[in-house]
Formats: sequence, structure tokens, C-alpha cells
Amino acid sequence: MFEVENKIRQEAKRVLENGLVELVIGWAPGSVPFRTTPVFIDRPEDVDKLVWNPVCANNLAVYLPKIAKDRKVGIVAKPCDIRSIVALIQENQVKRDNIYIIGLGCAGVVDPSRLELAGVRLSDVTALDWAADGIKVITLNGEQLLKSTDVHRDMCLACTKREPALFDVKFGEAVLPSEVKPRELPELPEERQKYWSEQFSKCIRCYACRQICPNCYCEVCFADRVEPKWTAKKAVPEENWMFHATRAMHLAGRCIQCGECERVCPVGIRIAELMREMAEAVKNKYDYEAGDPNEEAPLLGTFRENDVDPAQHS
Amino acid sequence: MSEDAVLVEEKAELESSESTQQERTWQPIILGILCNWCSYAGADLAGTSRLQYPESIRIIRVPCSGRVDPAFVLKAFRKGFDGVMVLGCHPGDCHYAKGNYYARRRITLLQDLLKALGLPEERFHFEWVSASEGNRFAELVQEFTEKIRRLGPFKGVVTPEKKTL
Repeated sequence: MFEVENKIRQEAKRVLENGLVELVIGWAPGSVPFRTTPVFIDRPEDVDKLVWNPVCANNLAVYLPKIAKDRKVGIVAKPCDIRSIVALIQENQVKRDNIYIIGLGCAGVVDPSRLELAGVRLSDVTALDWAADGIKVITLNGEQLLKSTDVHRDMCLACTKREPALFDVKFGEAVLPSEVKPRELPELPEERQKYWSEQFSKCIRCYACRQICPNCYCEVCFADRVEPKWTAKKAVPEENWMFHATRAMHLAGRCIQCGECERVCPVGIRIAELMREMAEAVKNKYDYEAGDPNEEAPLLGTFRENDVDPAQHS
Repeated sequence: MSEDAVLVEEKAELESSESTQQERTWQPIILGILCNWCSYAGADLAGTSRLQYPESIRIIRVPCSGRVDPAFVLKAFRKGFDGVMVLGCHPGDCHYAKGNYYARRRITLLQDLLKALGLPEERFHFEWVSASEGNRFAELVQEFTEKIRRLGPFKGVVTPEKKTL
């Protein structure tokens, strides 16, 4: 970990010093050792703030459409973050030439709330690192080894794309999960509807899912529109349903499965589960994966003459 | 606020009329979103040909099936329509050359979304209807109305026990 961290710092220093970029976006230590925070570095002497560890959760691509509009920006990015960058390039939100990608091989990111469940005293944690088939937590009383299935984020447990797909420089090794976590969505329609009713009824409409999503870059979101009023702003189940259903539709074929929406949700709605379901449908029907540099145009911005026919032909 | 108040009233009215009348007299309310150049002209043909079809369908005319934002359909269900039909020109026949091809992908994903959310998929019907298919339009509305009548009134996008309205 520290080796990769040092390489990131050196590379950030190099690109800042030789003027290749004006700014490097990365992660810095958070207020507690089991969290990190996004950091924007514009002076070479500040690069030591950059860190790389299993709690570097934020998908930093979310800043690119605004920050990299008219200047060159370096970004430290995990494979999922890179898929976001690819999607943003494909949708003309950023220019490839404006971004310098410091890509990282990934071994999965930790959900801090699971550390406690796995028997870690959060107040004792001093650092985290990857270890063989899991995570090493360094505490005041020594080291604790945890299994990745116990502490990784759900999205990471379902992720098999841990190699950067697009980068200018790459560090670190990818480690694939030993098994892929299946979805937990009920099979029967009535049960599904009940499941989502319960999930969405928790929503307080804080829009954190939208704000954190690199693909949600619309200048005016449908949820904020008054005319036409797609959905009322109050947090009642029907309106929450309308918001989440429409958002899922807007991200269909575009979501790159980073799971940030679910991570930031203050009430724990399983948004990523819905996104994963949609991504699977997209994969099955169009053999298309959002964020793949080999895909030409955005899925819904193009068509083939022999596409699946949705007509029921009764 | 006022919009919801109206909705509550409408709902109450609908429910009271349901309880007083026999189920067989219940008429579903179906939203039809029709492309101007083919399907709407087809519906027009059905009308001018004096073909009978159920009055359950409420038609919105759009310039092209490519104009149909899937959120139209989602909002229709959120507002309590019992069924939603989207009709467009046959592939290859689009007035704007390729609008219906874009629509095809969107509608396909919308169907997947409805499935993922556990909404009764059979309440949503998508079909290609040309301007000459007045007969077919009348039949489609007839069949879809029958199907929705069998399914009964739509209970809402969220399960009733969680309703706060």
C-alpha cells in the first residue's frame, strides 16, 4: 500500500511540477483513520497529503465536468472511477486531453460501518491496509485480519472489473474477489414491489445519491423542476418512488456500478441493487457495458436495426 | 398540496363508486401515448371508420414515439392509471427516419425497470401501429382494456399498507 501511495505522490508531484496538469484530485486522510476525504492539490509541495488505502471510497470523477472544463486536471482513480471518466468522455462532459489519469489496480474498498460489525473497535483503529484475501486493520492493540466478504462494500463484492480500463499511468495490483456476491432482490413481482416500497419509504429526499453520482451532471435535475412537475418534493412513498424510478431510468445504460449512491444514502436505501439489475438487463439485451472504452456511443444515443423489439404483438 | 388533495378526492370518488357498483361495470382508465404520424392517424382512422373501441383510453398525441420520455409512463402509474399504452410507427416507417429506433431501446429498458421494481408489467403495453391500421388499433384497445379489466384496478406504485396519502 505505502509503495503505491508513494508512487502516486511522486507522479502527482511530477505532473504538477512539469505543468502537465494544474491540479491533482485524490484522497487525503479523513477526520478519523477509517475515512478519507477528497483533496485538490495544486502545489507540488502538498502531494504528501495524498493517500491510497482500503477506505478511499469517493468516486472523484464526480468533480470532473466542472473542474476539468477548461484546464488540465490529474485524477487518482480506481477502476470504477475510471469507468465514470470513460462515460463522461463518451457523453462529451470532459475532454480526454484535459485529464491525466493516475489509474490504480483495486482490491476492493471497505465499508467502515462493517468494521464495527466485524469486531473492530473503531476508536482503536490507526490504519487500514489490504492483506491476502482481506483487510488488515492496524489498531492500538496490534493487527486484526478481516475477511473481505465481511467488510467490503456490496458493490466491491460484486465487482470483477478491478483493472483500470483507461489510464496514463498505472500503479498497484488488482485482486479479484474469490466469489461474486449475488443480488438480494426478491423474485416475485409482488415481493419486489413490497421490497422497494419499504426501501423508498425511508427516503428523506436529501438527493445525496444524485449529488455524489458522476453521471448525474444535469444542470437542472428533473426532481428540481417545477414545470413540468415530475415529482413533488415532499418525502412521501409515491413521490420517492417517482424520484428513484425516474433516476434509475435516467441512468439505465449509463450507470457504471460504482455504488456511490448506496454508500452516501443516509437511510441505507439499496439503490445500487436497482442499478445492478438494470445494468444486467442492458448487458443481456445489448451486450453493452457502461464505462467500457471500447463502446462507441452512449447506449440510448444510438441503435441497431436488429435491436430487441419491446412490442408485445398481441 | 392542492394537486394531492384533488388526487385524494378523485381516489375516494373512484373507490366509493367501485364499492357501490358491481365489479363488471368498472371501467379501467388507460393512458395512450400515440405518435402523431402513424398511431394517432390509425386511431383517427378507427374513428372515421366508425369502429367501436372502449372509451377507457385517454389519448395524448406526441410528435413521435421518440418523444416519449419513459418518465411519462412512470408518472402515469404514479398518478394511478390502470394501464399505459405507447404506440408508434413500425420500425423503418418513422416520419423522422429514426425516432422510433431510439424509442425502441428506451421502451425496452423501461420494461426492464418496471420488472425490476416489481410493477405489474402487463399493465404497460407497447406496440407498433401504422396509419392504415385503424382496425388493429381498435382491436388493441379492446384487448388491452379486457386485460386490464381482468387485472382489476391498479393499486398504486407502492404497496398499499405503506401509503400515507
